[in-house]
Amino acid sequence: MRTNSLFPKKWLFLFIAVFMAAGCQKDFLERKPKGQLTFDTFFENGEQAQESVNAIYSNFRSWEMCAFPWIGITDIISDDADKGSTPNDAQYVLDLDNFTFDATNQAFQQSWSGNYRTIFRANVAIENIPKVPEMDEKLRARLIGEAKFLRAYCYLRLVQWYGPLPIITRQLNDDEYLTQVRQPVESVYDTIEQDLLDAIADLPEKSEYTSKDLGRATKGAARGILAKLYLVKHDFTNAEKFALEAINSGEYSLLDRYGDNFLPVGENGKESVFEIGAAALQASVAGPGATPYNMIQGVRGVPNLGWGFNRPSDDLVAAYEPGDPRRQATIIYVGEVLPDGATIVEDNPDVLNERYNQKAWVPAHAGLQDNGPGNLRLLRYADILLIAAEALNENGKAADALGYLEQVRKRARGSNNFILPEVTTTDQAELREKIRHERRVELAMEQHRWFDLLRWGIAGEVMRAAGKNFVDAKHELLPLPQSEIDLTGGNLVQNQGY
Amino acid sequence: MDTFYKHKPFFLLVWACWLSVTSVYSQHRVEGTVTATSDGQALIGVNILEKGTSNGTITDIDGSYSITVAGPNAVLEFSYTGFAPQEIAIGGRNRIDLALEEASTLLQQVVVVGYGTQKKSDLTGAVGTVKKEEIERLPVANVEQALQGKVAGVYVAPSSGTPGAGAVIRIRGTGTLNNANPLYVVDGMITYDASFVNPLDVESIEVLKDASAAAIYGSRGANGVIIITTKSGKNREQAVISLNSYYGTQKITKKIDLLNAAQFAELYNEFRGQQYFEDPAALGEGTDWQDEVFRTAPIGNIQLSANGGSEKVSYNISGNYFKQDGIVKNSDFERVTIRVNTEYKLNDWLTIGNNTAYTNSKSQIAPGGVVGGAYRMPPVFAPRDSTGDFSDPTFFGSAIGNPAADLFYKSNNNNEFNRLFGNLYGDVHFLKYFTFRSNFGFDRGEGQSKYFEPVFEVSSSQLNKSDRLSVGSTLSRDWIWEQTLRFEHEIGPHRFSVLGGYTAEERYDEELGGSRENFPGTADELLFLSAGNDTTQQNYGSAIDEALTSYLFRINYALLDRYLLTVSWRTDKSSRFTEPNRTGNFPSFSLGWNLSQEGFVQNLTLVDRLKLRFSYGILGNQASGSAYPSTSAISSGLYAIFGPGEDLNQGATLIAVANSNLKWETSRQTDIGLELGLFKNRLEFEVDWYNRYTYDIIAAVPIPDYVGSQGDPIVNTAEVRNRGWDFTLNWRNAGKFSYNFGATLGLVNNEVLALADGKNEIFAAFLQGEPASHTVVGQPIGSFYGFKVAGIFQNEEELNSLPRLGGEDVGDLRYADLDGNGIIDGDDRTYLGSAIPDVIYSFTAGFDWKGVDFAIDFLGQSGNKVYNAKETFRFGVYNWEQHVYDRWTPENPSQTEPRITNGGTNYRVSDRFLEDGSFFRLRNVVIGYSLPVEWLSKVRISKFRVFLSGTNLWTKQKYSGYSPEFPNGTNPFEVGLDFGGYPVAKSWQGGLELVF
Repeated sequence: MRTNSLFPKKWLFLFIAVFMAAGCQKDFLERKPKGQLTFDTFFENGEQAQESVNAIYSNFRSWEMCAFPWIGITDIISDDADKGSTPNDAQYVLDLDNFTFDATNQAFQQSWSGNYRTIFRANVAIENIPKVPEMDEKLRARLIGEAKFLRAYCYLRLVQWYGPLPIITRQLNDDEYLTQVRQPVESVYDTIEQDLLDAIADLPEKSEYTSKDLGRATKGAARGILAKLYLVKHDFTNAEKFALEAINSGEYSLLDRYGDNFLPVGENGKESVFEIGAAALQASVAGPGATPYNMIQGVRGVPNLGWGFNRPSDDLVAAYEPGDPRRQATIIYVGEVLPDGATIVEDNPDVLNERYNQKAWVPAHAGLQDNGPGNLRLLRYADILLIAAEALNENGKAADALGYLEQVRKRARGSNNFILPEVTTTDQAELREKIRHERRVELAMEQHRWFDLLRWGIAGEVMRAAGKNFVDAKHELLPLPQSEIDLTGGNLVQNQGY
Repeated sequence: MDTFYKHKPFFLLVWACWLSVTSVYSQHRVEGTVTATSDGQALIGVNILEKGTSNGTITDIDGSYSITVAGPNAVLEFSYTGFAPQEIAIGGRNRIDLALEEASTLLQQVVVVGYGTQKKSDLTGAVGTVKKEEIERLPVANVEQALQGKVAGVYVAPSSGTPGAGAVIRIRGTGTLNNANPLYVVDGMITYDASFVNPLDVESIEVLKDASAAAIYGSRGANGVIIITTKSGKNREQAVISLNSYYGTQKITKKIDLLNAAQFAELYNEFRGQQYFEDPAALGEGTDWQDEVFRTAPIGNIQLSANGGSEKVSYNISGNYFKQDGIVKNSDFERVTIRVNTEYKLNDWLTIGNNTAYTNSKSQIAPGGVVGGAYRMPPVFAPRDSTGDFSDPTFFGSAIGNPAADLFYKSNNNNEFNRLFGNLYGDVHFLKYFTFRSNFGFDRGEGQSKYFEPVFEVSSSQLNKSDRLSVGSTLSRDWIWEQTLRFEHEIGPHRFSVLGGYTAEERYDEELGGSRENFPGTADELLFLSAGNDTTQQNYGSAIDEALTSYLFRINYALLDRYLLTVSWRTDKSSRFTEPNRTGNFPSFSLGWNLSQEGFVQNLTLVDRLKLRFSYGILGNQASGSAYPSTSAISSGLYAIFGPGEDLNQGATLIAVANSNLKWETSRQTDIGLELGLFKNRLEFEVDWYNRYTYDIIAAVPIPDYVGSQGDPIVNTAEVRNRGWDFTLNWRNAGKFSYNFGATLGLVNNEVLALADGKNEIFAAFLQGEPASHTVVGQPIGSFYGFKVAGIFQNEEELNSLPRLGGEDVGDLRYADLDGNGIIDGDDRTYLGSAIPDVIYSFTAGFDWKGVDFAIDFLGQSGNKVYNAKETFRFGVYNWEQHVYDRWTPENPSQTEPRITNGGTNYRVSDRFLEDGSFFRLRNVVIGYSLPVEWLSKVRISKFRVFLSGTNLWTKQKYSGYSPEFPNGTNPFEVGLDFGGYPVAKSWQGGLELVF
């Protein structure tokens, strides 16, 4: 080789450069999300199955599921509560209170999407947990049962608000996103019923859970919600059956003191049938266990505990029988000493005739207002007792109904025999009124009233009496979100009157 | 003469040196004059250098020179900006008169194209060029702003007025529903953010507008490509050292006309229906909150650079410091840039080099929402109340915070960003015609942010109960490695240039951060996480990556300099897509015909240049919001709480739908162009017609909420066409009085041709749950959509008889019943206009005369609408704009301005809030003066220029907001909505330019 030739060096250089470039690995283009599992490698063990179900519970604490979009179209829209807060804060919530809302009101879009997002998570769990290769079979069945219970619970909320619904019980393919139509309410009821029956079969009783798992869906919770569904359907026979099954399970009893239900001491207590756990786990920002529920309803002013929405209405105040201690346990007034025994609520000139929902009050906790630690009490034993009473009365068993009614009144009465006399009438119509009244005051400000009015068919009459512009054949159902109508190009048909 | 005597020793020394230099070599004397070929005018300040020495001179005011050189066989080099340099061998002569030819007449301009350069006369694609002379004049913070109004068909809008912010650029309209930003190639390294490039370091910017030019960038070329080339060293004996500096002041272009306190109180009383304010008139003007938030702020820049080299080594080294305080209080930005560009010719076959920039920027960001706060705050409050505390405006239930308090408590933030950006390359020349280049580009960024918020309480909604320090860091490391082989050869009339290559690149971004609370104090030295309470700590971290490999090929062929052909091909494989959609092929071809080389045109003395071009090609776009759009990721942290222990139970699941069938977005582009040079090329005219047809557009499309997806899926969804014209006209006249005029005009028509199967329309930009943007076939992307105002309900009778939504009262807006069904509902909403301008235009003019230089740039656009979204958000009682004062009352039966309300039907999405976005703006004006070179040459200074310039000094706009150029996101569905972000400023600067 001639040493003065430049070629060898030059070629060597080229050779090295080209080979280094070509040396890229085959997997160079295979990239996966960082710090995240992917769906194709998820649902591989029991732990992941459990996490997928925990994620469903988690969404119940979202803004959409428990803040304005929830309070707004349960309590505030009903005769139990006014918007509260300062006069102009949150116009769209005021529109709900005043019946001046239309389909673009954010509450509808948010409640709709919040519940369907929860349903999406439930669908993912229900579809994929059966495919987990190896896991404890009892756990597998229970987790699917929990997911079905939660899915049914969301559909029950939605069907009562909106009527016929797209029924989504699995993950949709991408060509199905726009093609869903509203199914008749009967089909929605059937879906709920089937999920709850499955849940009753697979879920344990409350006492069968370890203390660490309290708050998960139970047989009793599923029976209670199923009984409620039957009330909505006016199927009183089945409502009676499942309410009594829950009662006779012996899993539940009333707490001695009514007000304890809404204090930390009552969380997951004997009277709790279903509640969503929450906790203030971080010091200043909304922690991973928080809910906005307490903040939005908290006292506004001094002490400054929140935004002061959901003001118990004059109508509700007037509804209590004289001396009923439940009124004081439900409503915070100016000048009142809060249940922590120390704080006095001062007058806030910006909030007109202020009152606050005491059931949403929480004692001092870590972090700011938005770090709300109060569990969301969604189903109490007192509710089940009153469902039983209502169903029995409708089934012509007034005498049996009286016993359950009296359990509720007796606890409220406590040791004071001068108030809340025992109801003794066995006249069906009269007793119906008594039970309806009892439901109102016992469950006031717990987001049941609107649904009760709807299923009793007296919403129009009651709301108009309360001065609201309720239009018959329109306001029994809320409007579907305008965005939903727009996005489907009218595939979803709007409710009448909107 | 005082100054002279004070500095006498210095001047004497300089003089002595000068004498010594000239005396040693004085052997042969040459003199003469230098003129321009075009008009025979004398040229002043032409550099004349004896080749291979540092001996030189310049022409005087008559174009005359005289120089003494080493001997009769010396060679003189003549050079003059804008003219072709010439070398003349003296050959014993004592007088040499010379005519220099203007560079533009030579068709020798070289244009940077992807992976190489091309003679402008050989170009077959549509390429717009901005040279350093045009950029250097403008006192702008980044190159994106320097492009504004310079190239036809290129739309540049500031992304925000925040100091140091970049710009949104659209080349030939919005060709996608997705990210429509162009690709930047800075010295061969690809990036989407070129805002770090210091404009004074730039040699040229080329905008590749059509498929032929951009196709070599394949999958990233669809939105056009902007190639930025930084200055490289020049082979010259003596380094050129330059100092550039300016300093100026900026302020807001205009204020928004809002109600004063008396007017606000009057309207508030009316709104509440009670005398909340006893005597509104007594409140007077009150507080103009805009004055509390905005300020006059300084801006300054200084740059020192050295440029030089020899046959073996060349270098361009610069250091720059830029500082801009924001026009919003407590916002500022400063940046240090150090650039080192060097090249080494190691031997006759190997050259290596690098272009490297290091930037360090520091910024303070004004608290979010203070600009909006100034717009919304009722003027009846003073920033502080009588006790000196910040006033609490929630008194009215306005959820808004006091912006003065936000500025006070929430401004303790410090952000720092370091970026190392550049490339290293090696060129191997072999077998005479071949060059192999290996180019490694790198872009490494490291950012740090720190934010401390003390304990404070202004109101129940504006407070912080626990002090908190949040820190964050980001890391990005991108690299690209390109191997290209080039073959260049000329055989007879045939000229070939062939390019082939292979490239690989990777991008990686990571972020990490944490926070703690309860600090023992607020002194700067305590503000580190370790001082906080560890039980309050939180942290986060995440990363994304992506990769791309490509093959590229291009052939340029020219026959007789007349017939031109370019064919290119690029194959890309992207990690964003999964098989079988991973690979995309992007071919293009183009033809050119230099008619000016044909005999029948050469006979036309008027015409110096005439070229026809045609190009067609296919380009791609892989950009989508996510790096893993095809992968369904599991979200974690969805905790559930169970049990009396309130244990946190991990929750994780799929919460959103993904699309595994995603494929490349593709764009077919056609361009027909004509270039014309007349009157010795003093008049240059260029026109292009283009058609960009984009299909399989990737975008996140809103789907119904019943699907339950927390986030919209990314799909190949639509077809969009941008068709239009680009015109460029320039007149340049060089000489004693040189001047120029120029104009650009871009016309674009944007139309959606199809949406995905089964999909008729896309709604977006939801304002209070109601869409303001509607994309439908036959209309521009993201058109405004809503009700049309027909009038106002004047009385009960009208209210009861005319169509309405429900919920209206007398005095409220009456919307048009477009479908005529007697009620107002969603079906009565319609197309209201588009945010995309029909016409973008600019004018420039300038002259140089006896050392005075002047330049002025105007730009404008028309045909676009703006939705004043900030006016529609009323979560509390905010201040109103002045026009609301003319509201309907029984006494003032307005048909346009409804009664005073705060939300409700008057605030539905309608043309009430739609305004004309057309504007015409004096973008920039500069006047400078350079001292005569003959004075300067004696002190070895080749240029001393002072200048005064102004930016955005005058604007003709119809829009009521701060500026028709307001911060806009990059989401094409949601453009033209003004949410009240940081406005752009107008500014004045004075500066100095000194070249040694």
